[in-house]
Amino acid sequence: MSEDIKVDKVMDLKGMPCPMPIVKVSKGIKDVEVGQVIEAITTDPGALADFPAWAKTSGNEILKTDQQEDLIKFYIERKA
Amino acid sequence: MDQKTRDELLKLFQGKLNEAMKFYLETCTRCGVCTEACHVYASMGQIKYIAAYRHEIVRRIYKKYFKGRGKIWPSVGEARELSEMALEELYEAAYSCTGCRRCMVYCPFGIDTQMIMSIAKLLLIGAHTEPEILTLLADTSVEKGKSLELFKEGFLTGIKNLEKEVVKKWKIEAGETAIPVDVDGADLLYVALAGAHSIVPAAAIFNAAGENWTLSFFEAVNFGAFVGDPTKTKLILDRIVKEAKRLKVKEVCICECGTAFRVMKQLSGKQPFEVSSITEVHSRYLREGRIKVDKSKFKEPITYHDPCQIARNGGVIDEPRYILNRLSDDFREMSPEPKYNWCCGGGGGLVALGEDNLDFRMKSAKVKADQVQETGAKILTTACENCHTQLSDLNSHYEMGVEVKFLSSMVADALMQ
Ligand code: SF4
Ligand code: SF4
Repeated sequence: MSEDIKVDKVMDLKGMPCPMPIVKVSKGIKDVEVGQVIEAITTDPGALADFPAWAKTSGNEILKTDQQEDLIKFYIERKA
Repeated sequence: MDQKTRDELLKLFQGKLNEAMKFYLETCTRCGVCTEACHVYASMGQIKYIAAYRHEIVRRIYKKYFKGRGKIWPSVGEARELSEMALEELYEAAYSCTGCRRCMVYCPFGIDTQMIMSIAKLLLIGAHTEPEILTLLADTSVEKGKSLELFKEGFLTGIKNLEKEVVKKWKIEAGETAIPVDVDGADLLYVALAGAHSIVPAAAIFNAAGENWTLSFFEAVNFGAFVGDPTKTKLILDRIVKEAKRLKVKEVCICECGTAFRVMKQLSGKQPFEVSSITEVHSRYLREGRIKVDKSKFKEPITYHDPCQIARNGGVIDEPRYILNRLSDDFREMSPEPKYNWCCGGGGGLVALGEDNLDFRMKSAKVKADQVQETGAKILTTACENCHTQLSDLNSHYEMGVEVKFLSSMVADALMQ
């Protein structure tokens, strides 16, 4: 968990086939209230471009991207 | 449904009525040859899943609002008002059809169900009753094309982190780049998917073949095509065409994604580059002796699932067989032959609908599971992400006991340095 962000739901999307990470996160974000945050963990390098584009399209906000060598964590706040 | 909405939808319908479409809508003689051709009907036995029945849902609306030319105009079949209820039927018909076109090869007139269902899908978009997730996925791809500069840096870092995985499969000389990106004047632009499994094996093989290649910033898959939105399909396609022209590549190679390949091959028009599937490229490398594979790597019997959009609808049939015969002495064909191969049951956007339709996807593809099992193979390989996901789901659901593999990853694993 990121030190400064309170996470309400964690989603493990590691190794999922296309387009499941975006499909799952689109569903998962609806399971939290507006203002709450999900932490989405993925291994897809393409997610670094896909997630910001998805957030822009769906009207949600990526508060932080934590890029480690083998995984990427997105902290996403439900806005809409 | 109010008159204004109906008028707008009928305008969309009208826009689809080219000569081919009118022929498809006016020609069916109800001979019934297509009945058993659809995997959904063959697996589930419900009349609503017969190809000609699906056509009828669209045809009735056509009959009510548009004049047929009446050449072989069907004598039976009611005209039907475009209403909310009709939209529900259109949804059921379109989103239980994978667009595999198996029925088309059986139909004596070659009536194209996928084309007819494209009317249904367009009307659903017009009425805002299409699957929301498919539109969101398409919009995300369009957005990426518009704001590439915002996403570029993150993508490049992600790719850099993958390079060591590539080198594990194929060692490169000091100073060489394992995954080149944005290389002006490269010969080949490789368009992958977001996941490492779509990039790492492919990169190792390109490096092994000494290809002058570069990786695309964009993902290959075209969700505009899945949802049946011609405008978005074109926008998503154009991102890649523009990139290919900017880098002046001679060839655009599409990863293991059937729809991406068919859309790029058939809808990109005349371009200064060739379009190929990754399977064609790998078969070419093997033929030309640019890569060598170790035949002892896979000892179990192997069968191959022809992705509908790559084989029946894309013409890539001999190439995977050439590769498989180089990889194994025990490659087993499925029956019936590739042109009549059963669809995996996951195309047309059905896999992207996720768990919502898992039960339907499993029930409707029983014939596929049987077809695989009849070969006695232990490895089931394919060259499409969508098919791979669906086949893996079928494997667990029907306890098929096979290992589902991407053909490209088998080639990469058998590379001889
Ligand atoms: S295109 Fe495929 S899924 Fe659709 S009706 Fe024909 S056989 Fe069935
Ligand atoms: S095979 Fe062709 S003509 Fe015969 S019922 Fe089916 S769609 Fe109509």
